Amino acid sequence: MEKILDKKQIDGWIAALTAKSQDGWEVHAPMLEEGIWTYQPASGAVRLDHPNTNQSPKGFAFPQREIFFSFEQIKGEAPRLTQVLPKEQRHAVFGVRPCDGRGVPRMDKVFTDHVEDPYYNARRKNVAYVGLACNKPPSPNCFCLSVGGSPVSTDGLDVQLTDLGDRYFVKAITETGKALMTAGGKLFTDPSAADQKQVKQVHTDAVAHPQRKINDPDGAPAKLRASFNSPLWEEMARACIGCGICTFLCPTCHCFDINDEVQSKAPLKGQRVRTWDNCQFPDFTMHSSGHNPRENTGARLRQRVNHKFQYFHENFGMHQCTGCGRCISGCPVGIDIVAVVNKVTEHAG
Amino acid sequence: MIDIKDIRDTARDMLTKGEARAVIGYRRGSRGMLAEPAFITNLEQADELVWDPTCFHNLSLYLVEDRKFLAHLRKTANAPIAIVAKGCDARSIVVLMQEHYFKREDVYIIGVSCEGTGVVDERKLAPLLNGAHATSAAFDGDDFVFTTAEGEKRLPAREVMADRCLECRNPFPKEHNAVFGEDKTGRQLAEPFAALTRFEAQGNSARWDIWSRHFDRCIRCFACRSVCPMCYCDECVVDSISFPVTAETTAEDKANRIRWIERSAVRSENITYLMTRAMHLAGRCTDCGECERACPVNVPIRLLNNKMEREAREKFGYEPGASIGGSSLVASFLDSDPGDFIR
Amino acid sequence: MPDNIYLPQLARVSSIKEEVAGERSIKTFRVEPVDGKLFDHQCGQCAMLSIFGRGESMISIASSPLIREYKQFSIMRVGRVSSAFHELEVGDVIGLRGPYGNSFPVDDWRGKNLYFIGGGCGLAPIWPVITTAVAQRANFKNVTVFYGGRTSRDIMYRAELEKLRESVDVHLSIDRMEEGWDGYCGFVPAAVMDKDPLPDNAIAITCGPPIMIKFVIQNLNKLGFKDEQIYTTIENKMKCGIGKCGRCNVGKDYVCVKGPVYSWAVLKNLPEEY
Repeated sequence: MEKILDKKQIDGWIAALTAKSQDGWEVHAPMLEEGIWTYQPASGAVRLDHPNTNQSPKGFAFPQREIFFSFEQIKGEAPRLTQVLPKEQRHAVFGVRPCDGRGVPRMDKVFTDHVEDPYYNARRKNVAYVGLACNKPPSPNCFCLSVGGSPVSTDGLDVQLTDLGDRYFVKAITETGKALMTAGGKLFTDPSAADQKQVKQVHTDAVAHPQRKINDPDGAPAKLRASFNSPLWEEMARACIGCGICTFLCPTCHCFDINDEVQSKAPLKGQRVRTWDNCQFPDFTMHSSGHNPRENTGARLRQRVNHKFQYFHENFGMHQCTGCGRCISGCPVGIDIVAVVNKVTEHAG
Repeated sequence: MIDIKDIRDTARDMLTKGEARAVIGYRRGSRGMLAEPAFITNLEQADELVWDPTCFHNLSLYLVEDRKFLAHLRKTANAPIAIVAKGCDARSIVVLMQEHYFKREDVYIIGVSCEGTGVVDERKLAPLLNGAHATSAAFDGDDFVFTTAEGEKRLPAREVMADRCLECRNPFPKEHNAVFGEDKTGRQLAEPFAALTRFEAQGNSARWDIWSRHFDRCIRCFACRSVCPMCYCDECVVDSISFPVTAETTAEDKANRIRWIERSAVRSENITYLMTRAMHLAGRCTDCGECERACPVNVPIRLLNNKMEREAREKFGYEPGASIGGSSLVASFLDSDPGDFIR
Repeated sequence: MPDNIYLPQLARVSSIKEEVAGERSIKTFRVEPVDGKLFDHQCGQCAMLSIFGRGESMISIASSPLIREYKQFSIMRVGRVSSAFHELEVGDVIGLRGPYGNSFPVDDWRGKNLYFIGGGCGLAPIWPVITTAVAQRANFKNVTVFYGGRTSRDIMYRAELEKLRESVDVHLSIDRMEEGWDGYCGFVPAAVMDKDPLPDNAIAITCGPPIMIKFVIQNLNKLGFKDEQIYTTIENKMKCGIGKCGRCNVGKDYVCVKGPVYSWAVLKNLPEEY
């Protein structure tokens, strides 16, 4: 399904989606708040003119905090556990950039491979992603073309919007996407031959825009494997301060911690909670004994880069990194995954 | 104006004579105009050193790292580390020495004066470049000069400088072994604590609303803590960050370690984290502003630290990092101290 | 929501035995289901144990899969959760989920000579294999157990080891001589060399402190054992048990899924991140 939507009609479409008579979607769109772009519940005045959001939309299916269950125990009695399920609410996320769209199937692989994650699944099935093609790279650190993506990729998206100036070219990618568009009814019109020609041109131009470049992405898995013991890791991680910016902003980082949060000691009341975790924190892999298999920043940088460009590739046949460049732009001390991969692979020969 | 050649020559000289085992400075990074920390151990690398308005980092952080690493290896240093330090950075080094983190002879301070300007605030710069991306930045008197694909862009430094630099009164590193650039101590481009004063002009409930939103937004990536040279504790109220668990740490120690803050990035925990950190920086923070710059979600952390700094100044006449011999704020008592809080 | 992998089953502690006293004490807990039955497991697998309000910890299952009524865990007091376990009393209720990880290929070892080499609390992860081999004694040829502790007070499963002597060879050792000790005196790798085990038609299974495992493997190689005849188990910090939380990987594989049991032929080619 391919349609044209006048930009003035986007609020109308969103209103149609949120209307109770429809499926009751909650719509989220990027808004500029406190100098950063974040997904906010959309209530009119949606203008998809953002570069990319500060954080990826991964939180819609994998929130930073997820309550697994609550527990309660009166001394001398068995504990009572109550499973806490995510609320059944459908979310349509507007303005998702192609790199973040490509993050979705990668997260799906992690959370449904081997054993299905019930909390991820419960949320994921209720999220639809309405993507926005990148007519030009929104960040100087974009490199989607290096990792098998493209500024016009539809991977992971339900609908793809392309900005044609005063209107969007709207394409349904999935059945869910078709349903979203159908909800807009007559707001959508059929594209003319000129529209078709223009969208083709915009997409061609988008792909031609220069980006940052990983020189040998196909050779990276083997070269990284061969470079595990390279002294470069420690050298390149010398400035790393061990914060969580790179992984928390990443659309595909999925590591988490599980902890009990206690509200009351007697009677015991609390919740078991999952929170995002980060492989760059020193205590991430530390054993109770104090032994730490990844003892220095070099080993931890290697884990982050290898996970993206080697381990994930070996397990699923694709790079986990989608080239959004957030980890590069966000790093306070200049650690640059493009430069790191290039340097290691060049030295590997 | 500082000639970068002077800094490079000093670095080379130190390394040649074996008077420093490394020089920590700035070099051009791989991301557009931005400089990044550089760890120079051989002569060729000295040519990589740069000095420009993107030399934000308070490199004294790495003196702390070095100390921790040596302690971990149970080694002592055979020579000092040389470090490029701006006024605020040099004051941080002084605080660390006041707190006996290392001795004066362990560090060779290559001071750089910010003279009439300071470092750029990328968030102020972006809108003025109209979507263009700068590939280099340079000092030029009262201006900053940026190179973009569309050509050179000259901007008055005051328009794009970080607030901390506008409010800075001591852009000259008083404590140094060598120093470059003119001493413009006492210069004042904005009132001290101007941003704080502006913020406090709002009513209590407005301020609480604003802070609530900031606290809610914090994702607890701990970049503010990690980038801060003063946040050197092995064991933080938040978690263990360094080498606090060793073979000697008993199960008892670990089991009894109080979890002051849950990992959930929710308002109550975020407040506890950010406020505790601010309290621990009272009389220690030299307003290098790195915490605020590093924050990926724009929490104005500097306002919290500034508040503590102003209290220390107004109530106790205390300036953090003023002199090595001076005692630290919370470890000293004067008869003239206001005593209300004790009674 | 179908089966919630993160929701533990409740289990009641039916007995507690102190194996080793002191600073790094070890206690063995037997747990039985509060309702229904517990999951089945295989030799070498682990389970995620919880004390509500304290958290979870991945512990290897020390009882034989042949025993279905209860599971047994031997836990050394090293951290937050394990310390809480040491404060438990009989009748207390804990959480249990699992089983996680791969297992020892015991069925492939029929008709072979088995050498078990354990040190310290490393006896627990291989104990289900030992007890299964003893229960199915006719399936295997010679079964020999080497086990050492720092001192005689660090020997766990003391009574069980004595009973084991009825059906298999047991060689106990301690690091330094003590009065009244009639076993071997010295480190475990040396104790193995002392008995000169033959590699023919044999499998060696070892678990203990990393440094012990390293020298045991070196010595086994010297004795002519091939890498694929040597098995061990490794541990890493774990949170989920199902390959998602992202911290226990060694190379591309998560120890909680593809481990913890490895033949040395496989393990020696993996990065040493454990």
